[in-house]
Amino acid sequence: MMEYEFDAIVVGSGITGGWAAKELTEAGLKVLMIERGREIVHGDYPREMKAPWELPFRGRGDTQRYKRDHAVQMLNRHFTEWTEDHFVNDRENPYELGADSAFTWFRSYQLGGKSLTWGRQCYRWSDYDFGANARDGMGTDWPIRYADIAPWYDKVERFIGVSGAAEGLAALPDGQFQPPFALNAVEKSVREKVSAQWPDRRLTIGRTANLTQAKEEEGRAPCQSRDICNRGCSFGAYFSTQSSTLPAATKTGRLTVITDAQVEKVDYDPATRRVTGVRWVNTKTRERKSATARIVFLNAGAFNSVHLMINSANEAMPGGLANSSGVLGTHIMDHANTLSAVALMPGFEGRTSFGNRPTGVVIPRFRNLDKADGDGFTRGYSFQGGALQSGWGRGKKQAGIGADFKRDLRGPGAWRMVLVAFAESLPRASNRLTLSKQVDPLGVPQLEIHFAHGAGELAALADAKREAGAMLTAAGGQVLFGMDRPGPGGTAIHEMGGARMGHDPKTSVLNKWSQAHDVANLFVTDGAQMASSACQNPSLTYMALTARAVDHAVGLIKAGAI
Amino acid sequence: MQQLRHKQPTATRREFLAGAAIFALATGLPVPAMAAAPSPRIALLLKTVAQIVIPRSDTPGAGDVGVGAFLSLAFAHGMEGAQGYDLWLDQELNRRAGRDFLALPPAQRVKILGQLDAEAFPAGPPPAVPSPWVAIKALILTGYYTSEAGASKELQYNLIPGRWDADIPLKPGARAYSSDWTAVEFG
Ligand SMILES: Cc1cc2nc3c(=O)[nH]c(=O)nc-3n(C[C@H](O)[C@H](O)[C@H](O)COP(=O)(O)OP(=O)(O)OC[C@H]3O[C@@H](n4cnc5c(N)ncnc54)[C@H](O)[C@@H]3O)c2cc1C
Ligand code: SF4
Repeated sequence: MMEYEFDAIVVGSGITGGWAAKELTEAGLKVLMIERGREIVHGDYPREMKAPWELPFRGRGDTQRYKRDHAVQMLNRHFTEWTEDHFVNDRENPYELGADSAFTWFRSYQLGGKSLTWGRQCYRWSDYDFGANARDGMGTDWPIRYADIAPWYDKVERFIGVSGAAEGLAALPDGQFQPPFALNAVEKSVREKVSAQWPDRRLTIGRTANLTQAKEEEGRAPCQSRDICNRGCSFGAYFSTQSSTLPAATKTGRLTVITDAQVEKVDYDPATRRVTGVRWVNTKTRERKSATARIVFLNAGAFNSVHLMINSANEAMPGGLANSSGVLGTHIMDHANTLSAVALMPGFEGRTSFGNRPTGVVIPRFRNLDKADGDGFTRGYSFQGGALQSGWGRGKKQAGIGADFKRDLRGPGAWRMVLVAFAESLPRASNRLTLSKQVDPLGVPQLEIHFAHGAGELAALADAKREAGAMLTAAGGQVLFGMDRPGPGGTAIHEMGGARMGHDPKTSVLNKWSQAHDVANLFVTDGAQMASSACQNPSLTYMALTARAVDHAVGLIKAGAI
Repeated sequence: MQQLRHKQPTATRREFLAGAAIFALATGLPVPAMAAAPSPRIALLLKTVAQIVIPRSDTPGAGDVGVGAFLSLAFAHGMEGAQGYDLWLDQELNRRAGRDFLALPPAQRVKILGQLDAEAFPAGPPPAVPSPWVAIKALILTGYYTSEAGASKELQYNLIPGRWDADIPLKPGARAYSSDWTAVEFG
C-alpha cells in the first residue's frame, strides 16, 4: 500500500480550484493546492485605490510595452494599467493556433486565477441546457439534469453571495439571491416596453457575485458601488478565491499552497490504474519537483487542464491521460459574442444615477425553448448590457474646441443602451486542442488551439442583431449601430470543453461525477468537463459541479473505493 | 501613417527612441520615460494646442495641467496609434499658417485649429481614413480629464461612492463623474 504525502492535490487556485480546496479540506482531507502563478495576498492590490493621475499612462497603460508583452491580453477591455498585473505576459506564456483558427486566449496566472478578474455574472442552467445535446443531436447527452445540480447551485450561491432578482423564468432558474441592484430609469422603461410587446422576454438586473449585504462571518463587506473589481477588492465584496474560498480552506488547517509551480504532468501507475500525484517546474528556479496524493483534482482552467492531460500521455495511455475514448481535447467551445445594438435613448434627460453599479442587465434566452423558432440555429442566445450616460469620452468623436466645447463636456451626456449577445457555441470535433511541437520557456510543449465559429452561431448572432434593434426601437430608442459577426474565439472568455462528461466511456472522458471514466481517482471539475455551452456565463455551474464532485469523491474515499 | 513624413530634425530623436526600445527589449529594462523628452519647440506647440482645445475657465486648461507633456509621452509610446503625430501636427499647422504657427497672434491660432478640427469631424459619417488630428484630440481629452484638475475639479471624482442610487434627478449644471468608468469607456 502506497504512502501518500497528501489526501488530495488540487491543480489551480482559480474559481474552481478554490472551491475544490475548500470542500476537500472541510471534509477533513489534507490538501495540496498548486498554482503556477505568483502569490497574491488578499488586500494587497497596489493599484486598487490609484487615481488615473497617479499612474504614468493615466490608466491606459504603455501601448509600446503592451504590444511586446501582452499582445493578446491587451485586446481585452478589462486589461488596463490598473489590472495589467492580473493578466499573463503573452511573451512568456505562448500558445499556437491551428490553420484557419482565431483564438484570443485571455488568462490570469496567479493565486486566485481569473477569480480576481472575472465579470462575476452568475446564471443557473436549466433543463433546456442540460437537454440540448439530446434534443438536436449535436454533441453527446449530458449525464445530469437540473435536479442533479440544483442543490449545489443553492450551496454555492449562499456561500459566495449572489445578488439578483427572482423572475420565475424556466430558461433561467432563480437562485438563492441577496437583494438585487436596481435598474436605472432607462432600463426600467425598456423592461416594461419589451415585456408589453414580447411577453416571453424579460429584462432583469444582472445576477452578480457582488455582495449587497455583508457576510460578516467571512469578513466580507458589502459592495461600495465602485465597479473596479478586477483591480482586486480589499472590501472582499466580490467573490474571489482570496475573499472567499481560500480563507475557508485555510481555516481548516489542512491546506498547503504552493505558488510559482507549473504542473507539467500527472503521474499514472498502470498497475493500479490510478494517478499517484503530479510533477511541476518551479517557474523561478526551474527546479522540478513532485508530490503524491490519493486523489487529484484538475482545476487549471479548461484548456490548461486538457493541456496537462494530453501532456501526461504515458506508455499505458499514449493518447493522453484518461483518453481511451480518443475525444480528449475535442469539442472545445466559447460563446459567439458581439455587440448587437447600441441605441440613443431619448426622453430621460432629467434623470441620472449615483455610484457605479458593478453589474449590467440581462435578457435571458427566448429562442428555441418550447418551439423551434431559430432561423438557421437550434440553440439560444442571451443579451447582457445596460443603459449608461456617456462621459467626457464622447468629445473624442465630436467637432469642437474651446470654451463652449469644454462646457459641453462638463455634464453627463445622452443616455444610451447597449446590448451584447452571447450565443451558444456548438460542440464540434474539429474545434480542438492539441500539443504543439513548440515548447514554452520552461521546456513544456505548448498548447495548439484549433477553433472556428460555425454557421449556427452566425445565424444566432444575425437574429440577435435584428431582435436587439427591434427591442430598443420598440422601447423608443434610435439604433446607432449593431454587429452580427462574432469576435474571434476566446472573446467571450468562456472557453470550455475538451474533456467532456458523458454516459459512455467510448465517447466521453468524464462520468457524471466529473470523474475520469478510465482513472477512478482523477477528477476534472473546471470548464473542461462541459459537454455543451448553453449561453449563460459558465462559472457558477463549474463551481456547483466542483462541490458536487468533491462530495462524491469524499464518499468514495470513505467507502474505501478510491 | 503614409501621409506622415519623418524629415524633421527630431527624426534622429525618434530613431534614438526606437533604438532605446530595442535595447530595452533585449535586456528587459523598461524604456525610460525621459526618453520621450521632446524638443522645446514641440513641447511649446503641444502645450499651446492643448490649451486651445481645453482653455482655462473657472478651472485650469489642458496646457496648464501638463497635457503637453502627456502628449509627448503618448506619441513616443504610440497610444491611440499616434506614434510620431507631433511631427505631423507641427508641419500641418505651419502649412496652414503659411509660416510658424506659434508666431501667429492667439486669435489666428484658434481659427486655424478650429478649421483643422472641423475638417476632421465633418457632418455625416466619419471619413474612412481619419485625420491624425482625431487621435491627437482624443489624447488631449484623455490627458485633461485624467489629470487631477480635469478629473476632480472640472468633473467630479469619487472612488468610493458607497451606494448605488439608480434613478435620481439630474440637477442643471451638474458635473459628470470622471470615475464613472463605464461611461468613460463607452464614450
Ligand atoms: C474579464 C473576464 C470576465 C469574465 N466574466 C465572467 C462572468 O461574468 N461570469 C462567468 O461565469 N465567468 C466569467 N469569466 C470566466 C471565468 O473567469 C472563468 O470561467 C473561471 O475563472 C474559470 O475557473 P477555473 O478555476 O476553471 O479557472 P481559473 O480561474 O482561470 O483558474 C485556473 C488557475 O490554474 C492555474 N494554472 C493553469 N495551469 C496550471 C498548471 N499547469 N499548473 C499549475 N497551475 C495552473 C492558473 O494560473 C489559474 O490560477 C470571465 C473571465 C474574465 C477574464
Ligand atoms: S464594486 Fe464592489 S466589489 Fe467591486 S471593487 Fe468596488 S466594492 Fe469591491
